[in-house]
Amino acid sequence: MHSSQRVRPRTVVLHVVVIAGALAMFFPFMWTFITSITPGAGFSITPRLWPEDASLEAYQTLFTERPFARVIANSIGLALVTTLAQLFTSATAAYAFSRLPFRGRGVVFAIYLATMMIPLQVLIVPLFAELKAFGLLNTYLGALLPTFASAFGIFLLRQAINQVPRELDEAATLDGAGHFRVFAQIVLPNIRPALATLTVFAFMSSWNAFLWPLVVLRSPELQTLPIALAGLQGQYTTAWDVVMAGSVVSILPMLALYIFAQKYIIQGVASSGIK
Amino acid sequence: MVLPTAVATPPSRTPARSGRNARRPRATIGYVLTVLAFLLPSAVPLALFVLGPMIAAAWISFTEWNLITPMEFIGLANYQELLADERTGEVFLHTIQYIAGYLPLVYVGGLALALALNRALKGRSLWRGIYFLPVVTSWIAVAIVWRWLLNPNNGVVNLALGWFGIDGPGWWTDPDWAMISIILASAWKDLGFVMVILLAGLQSINPELYDAAKVDGAGAWSRLRNVTIPMLSPSTFFVVVISLINGFQVFDQVYAMTGGGPGGSTQVVVQQIYDLTFRYGAAGEASALSWLLFIVILGVTVIQIIGQKRWVHYA
Amino acid sequence: MKRSLLAAGGILGVSALLLSACATEPATDDGPVTITYSNFTSAGGNEENLQTIIDAFEAENPNITVDVVTLPYGDYFTTLQTDLAAGTVADVVDTNYDFFPQLASSGSLAPLEVTNAGAYRDSLIDAYSVDGVSYGLPSSFSDVVLYYNADLFDAAGLDYPTSNWTWADEQAAAEALTDSSTGTWGSHQPVSFYEFYKVLEQNGASFLSDDGTSVAFNTPAGIEAAAWLTEKSGTVMPTIEEGQGTADFDTNLFLEGKLGMMHTGIWIFGALADAPFTWDIAVEPGNTQQASAVFSNAVGVSAASEHIAEASLFAEFLTSSQTMVDVRLDTGWELPPISDEDQLAVYLTKDTPANRQAVFDSLDSIALTPLVENGQQEMQDIITEELIEAQAGRKSVADALASAEERINAVIG
Repeated sequence: MHSSQRVRPRTVVLHVVVIAGALAMFFPFMWTFITSITPGAGFSITPRLWPEDASLEAYQTLFTERPFARVIANSIGLALVTTLAQLFTSATAAYAFSRLPFRGRGVVFAIYLATMMIPLQVLIVPLFAELKAFGLLNTYLGALLPTFASAFGIFLLRQAINQVPRELDEAATLDGAGHFRVFAQIVLPNIRPALATLTVFAFMSSWNAFLWPLVVLRSPELQTLPIALAGLQGQYTTAWDVVMAGSVVSILPMLALYIFAQKYIIQGVASSGIK
Repeated sequence: MVLPTAVATPPSRTPARSGRNARRPRATIGYVLTVLAFLLPSAVPLALFVLGPMIAAAWISFTEWNLITPMEFIGLANYQELLADERTGEVFLHTIQYIAGYLPLVYVGGLALALALNRALKGRSLWRGIYFLPVVTSWIAVAIVWRWLLNPNNGVVNLALGWFGIDGPGWWTDPDWAMISIILASAWKDLGFVMVILLAGLQSINPELYDAAKVDGAGAWSRLRNVTIPMLSPSTFFVVVISLINGFQVFDQVYAMTGGGPGGSTQVVVQQIYDLTFRYGAAGEASALSWLLFIVILGVTVIQIIGQKRWVHYA
Repeated sequence: MKRSLLAAGGILGVSALLLSACATEPATDDGPVTITYSNFTSAGGNEENLQTIIDAFEAENPNITVDVVTLPYGDYFTTLQTDLAAGTVADVVDTNYDFFPQLASSGSLAPLEVTNAGAYRDSLIDAYSVDGVSYGLPSSFSDVVLYYNADLFDAAGLDYPTSNWTWADEQAAAEALTDSSTGTWGSHQPVSFYEFYKVLEQNGASFLSDDGTSVAFNTPAGIEAAAWLTEKSGTVMPTIEEGQGTADFDTNLFLEGKLGMMHTGIWIFGALADAPFTWDIAVEPGNTQQASAVFSNAVGVSAASEHIAEASLFAEFLTSSQTMVDVRLDTGWELPPISDEDQLAVYLTKDTPANRQAVFDSLDSIALTPLVENGQQEMQDIITEELIEAQAGRKSVADALASAEERINAVIG
C-alpha cells in the first residue's frame, strides 16, 4: 500500500490551513483591485465586496492622462540594469568572502555589512551633492550607480556559496582550474536558488525604490513608478481609484517575475550538484 | 583525533603555518590580483556611493544645519543633546519593541510556510505566489486593510474576540497596542520574504541526511530539530541578521499605519531621523542620531557574526 | 630659441582660447532661454491645466522654454530642501505659506519687480512680501467653509446655517441631527493645528504671543476653543476608532448622506458635484467673532537662477495672466489670486454650491497661519498630537494645552 493512496488527516488539515492563510494573504491585493474598479472611489475604511458600478476607467485615466507607459518602461529598465549589476557584484564579492581568504577579510566583510546600517534618509543629501559633482543629476546613470552594489545581495550569496562543498572546488582545481573557472563553472551553477532569490529581491528593491529616484530623477520622461503613484495624490484631494489602479499595475510585473523565478528557487536536489 | 607520540619530525626549511594562516594561500601577486578582481566590482560602488556619504554624514553630525543656510560647526553638541534627551531613549525603545515582536513571529511563520510549501502539496506554486503577494503589495494598501481588520469597533479581529467573550483592545488607536498592531501587520507582510529565503535554503539540504535519520527511527519532529533546523542555520543566520539590520531601520510600516502616533507611542528612530532632517531643520542632529543607530546595529551584528560559530553549520 | 618662441605662442594661443570660452555671455541674451519650474500644485490631476498655461506663456514669449518638473505634494519639500542644500534649485519654485518665511529669510529667493502688483489681492501679495518687497507671487488660494446637507436639515425641520451663526447654533443643529439609530452624525471638524489656530481666533484668543516667541493659547478662551474641537468626537462626530481622521473620511460620510455638516476646504466641490442630495456652504461660524482659514500657494524665483528676468516674467504670467484665470475658473483648480472681483463673478454663477459667495465672504476675516522662525513643523506636530490626546480622552483638554505649551515653547523660544 502506498502512502499516497491514503488521505492522511494531517495533510487535509495542512491544506486547509494553507488555503485559509492564502486567502488572508490575498485580501489586501483584492481590496486594492476592488478600489481600482470603483469609479470616484473614496478612501473607504470598510472595504466593499464588489462595487455596483465597477469600471476600468481608472486604468484608462492612468494611461491616457498620465505618461504611465513611459513611467513603467523607466521602472522596468532601471530594475533590469540594477538586477544584473547586483547579480554580478554580489556573486564576485561573495566568492571572495567565501573562497578567497586574506588577512582582514572579516573586517572587510564587516565594513560591507556596515553599508546597510545607515538609513538612506541620512545619506541622501550628501549622495545628491556627490552625484551633482559628477554631473549625473536627472540622468538614468545617476539613479543607477548607487544601486550597483548591495551588501544584502553579497551576504545572501556568501551564505549560499558557503553551502557549496569545497570538495567540488578541489576537484576542479585538481583538473587545473583557476579561481575564475571555479567561480563560473562550479560555484555559480550550484547556487542557482540563491541567484534566483537575489534576482527577485534586487528587482523588487529597485522597483519599489522611492526616495533616491524622487530626488535624482526630475523630468517627467525619467520618473519611475513609485514617484508617479505618489504624484497621483494632490495637495488637497486624491483620486483613490486611480492610485489603486496604479498600485495594481505596479504589483503585477513583480508578481510575474516571482512566479517565473520560483522555478529556479525551488529546484530538485538532483540538479543542485550534491552527490 | 589521536596525535602521534614522539615522532621525530625532520627539520624543514619553511616553518609550518598554523591556525588561520594554515588555510591562507601565499600572498603572491597573482593571488592579490585575483582577490582584487573579485572584490573591486562591489567595493567601488559601495565605497563611492555609501561609505563616502556615510563619512559626509559623520561630518554633518558635528554641525547645525537646516539644509537651507550654510552649516555651522558645533562639535559634539548634537550627540550631547541626543544622549540627554529622553525622546532618544523612547524612539530606540519603540524600535526595539518592534524588533522583539516582529522577528520571532516572522521567522516562525516563515519557517512553517516554507516547510509546508516544500512538500508535495496540491497547487503549491500557486500558494507560494499568493503568500508572496503581500511582500510586493504597497504599504498603503496593507496598512488600510490591517487598520480595518484591527478596527476597535467593528474590525474582524475584535468581533471574533467578542465571540469568546474577550473585550478587544484599541489596537492602533491605543498607545499601548499600537506597536503590536504594526508588528502583526509587518510580520504578516514579510512572511513571504522569509519563506522564499528558507525555501531556497531547504533545497540545499542533502536528502540523504533525512533518509539516514528515518533509518535511525527519527520521527518528524526529531527530523525537524536534528536535521532541518541545523542544516537550515546558514539561511536562518541570514534572515536573523538582515531582519535585525532592517528592523532597527523600520520606517515605511510605521509611517503608513500610525505615522508615529498615537501620542508618539510608535515613533521610531528612522522616522525621527527623517523628521529632524526634512521637517525640523536639524540635519546635523539627524546625522548624529543615525550614527548612534549605526553603533547599535553594528554591535548587534558583530555579536551575531562572532556567535555564528556556535550554531551555524556550513557544509 | 625658435622652439621656446613657438611654445610661448602656443601657450598664449591656448590661454586665449580658454579665456574666451570662459568669458560669460552678456546678461541680456537674445538667444533662446530655458527655465525650469518645479511644482507640486498641479500634481494629482491638474498637470494638463498647468501645461495649458505654460503653452500660452511660451506662445507669447517664443524665446523662452519652460521645463516643468512635477512632484508629489507630500514629498515636494524634501526635494526642495535637498536642492537648496546642493545648490540645484529650479529657476521658478512652488511654495506654500508655511514654508515661505524660511525660503525668504535664507536669501534663497530673488526679489521680484512686479509689473502689475494691483492685479493681485492685497492680502495675498502682502503675505509673500518682506518689508514691502515681493519675494513670492501668490498662485492660488482656497479657504475652509462649513458644508451642510440641506436635505437632512429639511428632514429635521432645522434652519440652514447662515453667515450669522455662532458655535452655539452649530452645536444645537449638530445635536439635533445626530441620530445613532440611523448612523447619522451632526458635524465633523478635524482635530489639527490648522483647525486649532482658527477656532482660537473665532473665540478671540490667539495661538502665538505678539512677539511670536511663545504660545498664547493656554488661557480659558483657548481651552474653550480646544474643547469645541475635541468634544465633537463621540458626540456629534465619529471617534478615531470609528475612522475619524483617516483620509477622506468626512467627505465619504457626507456623500453617504450620513453627515449633517462638515468643516473642510472648497477643494471638495468637485467630489460632491454628483451628490444625490442638495448641499450648500456657509461661512464658518465663530464664537466671539468670525475667522476663516485661508490657504494659498505661491511661486518664487531662485536667487541663484541664471535667468532671473525670464523666470520673473514666467512667475508673473503664471500667477496673474488671463489664461491662468480662465483655466482655474473653468476647471475648478483652486482660485486665482486676483483682485478683480468681476472676473471672479463667473465663479459665482457655477453650479452647486449655490452660496459660492460664502467663499469670498470668508475672506473678510482671515485667520492667518501662525508662523515662527524656528520649529514651525515641530510646533504643528506637537499641538496636533496633544489635541488628539484630548480628543481620544487620554488627557483633559487643559492638560493637553498645558503640555503643548511647555513642549512648544521649548522649541520656538
